[in-house]
Amino acid sequence: MTPDLTVKIGKLTLRNPVMPASGCFGYGEEYAVFYSLEQLGAIVVKGTTAKPWTGNPPVRLAETPAGMLNAIGLQNPGAEAAREKIRQLQQYNTPVIVNVAGHSPKEYLQVIRILDEEPAVSAYELNISCPNVRDGGLAFGTDPQVVNTLVQAVRQATEKTLIVKLSPNVTDIVAIARAAEDAGADALSLINTLLGMAIDSETRRPLLANLTGGLSGPAIKPVALRMVWQVSEAVHIPVIGMGGITCAADAVEFLLAGATAVAIGSAHFINPTVCPEVVQGIAAYLTRHGFRAVREIIGLAKKAAGGEGEKDAGKDHCRS
Amino acid sequence: MMPKKQEMMLLRQEQVGEDIFRLTLQGEVAALPGQFVQVGVAPALDPYLLRPFSVHDCSPDTLTLLYRIAGRGTLLLSRRQPGEMLTVTGPLGRGFPAGKADRAVVVAGGMGAAPLLYLLRFLRAAGKDVAFFYGARTAAGLVLQDSYRSLADEYTAATEDGSAGKKGLVTQFVHPALSGKKADLYACGPLPMLRAVAALAKEAGADCYLSLEARMACGVGACLGCVIRGADGGWRRVCTDGPVFRAEEVFGR
Ligand SMILES: Cc1cc2nc3c(=O)[nH]c(=O)nc-3n(C[C@H](O)[C@H](O)[C@H](O)COP(=O)(O)OP(=O)(O)OC[C@H]3O[C@@H](n4cnc5c(N)ncnc54)[C@H](O)[C@@H]3O)c2cc1C
Ligand SMILES: Cc1cc2nc3c(=O)[nH]c(=O)nc-3n(C[C@H](O)[C@H](O)[C@H](O)COP(=O)(O)O)c2cc1C
Ligand code: FES
Repeated sequence: MTPDLTVKIGKLTLRNPVMPASGCFGYGEEYAVFYSLEQLGAIVVKGTTAKPWTGNPPVRLAETPAGMLNAIGLQNPGAEAAREKIRQLQQYNTPVIVNVAGHSPKEYLQVIRILDEEPAVSAYELNISCPNVRDGGLAFGTDPQVVNTLVQAVRQATEKTLIVKLSPNVTDIVAIARAAEDAGADALSLINTLLGMAIDSETRRPLLANLTGGLSGPAIKPVALRMVWQVSEAVHIPVIGMGGITCAADAVEFLLAGATAVAIGSAHFINPTVCPEVVQGIAAYLTRHGFRAVREIIGLAKKAAGGEGEKDAGKDHCRS
Repeated sequence: MMPKKQEMMLLRQEQVGEDIFRLTLQGEVAALPGQFVQVGVAPALDPYLLRPFSVHDCSPDTLTLLYRIAGRGTLLLSRRQPGEMLTVTGPLGRGFPAGKADRAVVVAGGMGAAPLLYLLRFLRAAGKDVAFFYGARTAAGLVLQDSYRSLADEYTAATEDGSAGKKGLVTQFVHPALSGKKADLYACGPLPMLRAVAALAKEAGADCYLSLEARMACGVGACLGCVIRGADGGWRRVCTDGPVFRAEEVFGR
């Protein structure tokens, strides 16, 4: 029997727990030539802003040990143009999650206003790693109070499933996670990239024109896994785990740590068919270990670690 | 042709110059001249990214790359042995078009020669009269000259230090080839050379196609990492809008 791979994220039921991470999959069309996007649990499109953003000057990429830095700067055509591309994705009969970005709460709300009537959009993922221009340029996602206010405002503006994507560049990610949950988020996704930089010793210059960039890839997986473990324990909403996943075993680690679903980002760049391969690999893993549904393994490593409990069992703490 | 990902067996790895290798893989990547492939240089997660290489030549059962050791990734690639499998995604990007004129003037600078062998074969097959200019800093940078010469009607080599061919920048010698019959220009090489070729084309009123490079991650247009500024101020993705561009798209009219 093939195992049941379905999972629920907010109002959405996903046919499997695997989706691309925002910014690594364009608007889907580039990878649709490699396989049918119907094999995905969901399609997550690029960070989308109210008006078009031009992004950063090149050089935008640098390779680092077992990973890479990017400073794309959220180049995107704006929500109106994005809507046309998103409509093309309806043919795949797969939920489309739009990653939303802005410089101010108003800009986030503008994106929601433009897209909310669009049936092709199933859910939003708020990218709160953007600098909050009005409040001195610090990322929204670094202050629980700011996160709470932003998420509340967006919550009031939409009935669609609302996912909040957490930045790892914070002292206490659990506090941010709770702030988003309290404000009405349906789910959390983590982690976004870690802020980093690289310098060419020969030319004595930073490799990126923007000086700093976001680190992704296998190099960040241990950090991501730890954060998914901590956050999934602290909240009662589903967590979408990501950061350095390149194969099914990596994805299973995130599920065992408490993620309900996983997203795969820069691994697309080294393997365009990574998502369908991971879906198959998870199914094979479940069969091999005698599980009937992927839901059975969510948070399972926590049980093994001494009964701190996956989040559903959390209420029963004192039993032991 | 739609790109695909495939495992290809390494057939031959030949050193053809100082730090320059010709790699032959088994299998078909139905590429047009100027298109490229992304290669997994080692079966590991470090180095992480694939490496872009132009199609040096291809046939229904082989793909040939010509590459120079430029860092850790290409060094690891040079150590791969016959019989080993490499992951290759391609063909990618936009290649060189056939062009309208009966005459083709093709200019190579250093490793920029890599995609031009297949272009010469293609232009030949299209019945064009082909003049090939091959420049490098020193004689060591000119490789496989016999192969290039055999596919061109006129052949000129130049080195900056005069250690082989004419002495000087290769673009200094192109002008006479443009003064007769109308010709299309094709070039691949360092940016200053491409700028000089674009200027020659402008002067001669010739169509001109240039192959560019940029740091890449996805190679398929999804990450927006490889952009260059077009002459109109807008971004162009080198991987999918290029790597071959019309000269005016990059340098203006
Ligand atoms: C479309 C295209 C076609 C190419 N065709 C050829 C070819 O046919 N023959 C050949 O010898 N070289 C070619 N190159 C350049 C080749 O990709 C680089 O030399 C190679 O990636 C260097 O990798 P490395 O690990 O040895 O160097 P490192 O400097 O260690 O690489 C570090 C990172 O920078 C990137 N990088 C370094 N140099 C370049 C460069 N010049 N262009 C793009 N990315 C670079 C690498 O891919 C890697 O991600 C091409 C580049 C592009 C974009
Ligand atoms: C090139 C690139 C662009 C990205 N763009 C976005 C974006 O627009 N919005 C966003 O929330 N995250 C963006 N990210 C972050 C990824 O979605 C993901 O959180 C991160 O890369 C970690 O996962 P990975 O290690 O699997 O790549 C981007 C990452 C990369 C590499
Ligand atoms: S390399 Fe990703 S868009 Fe060109």
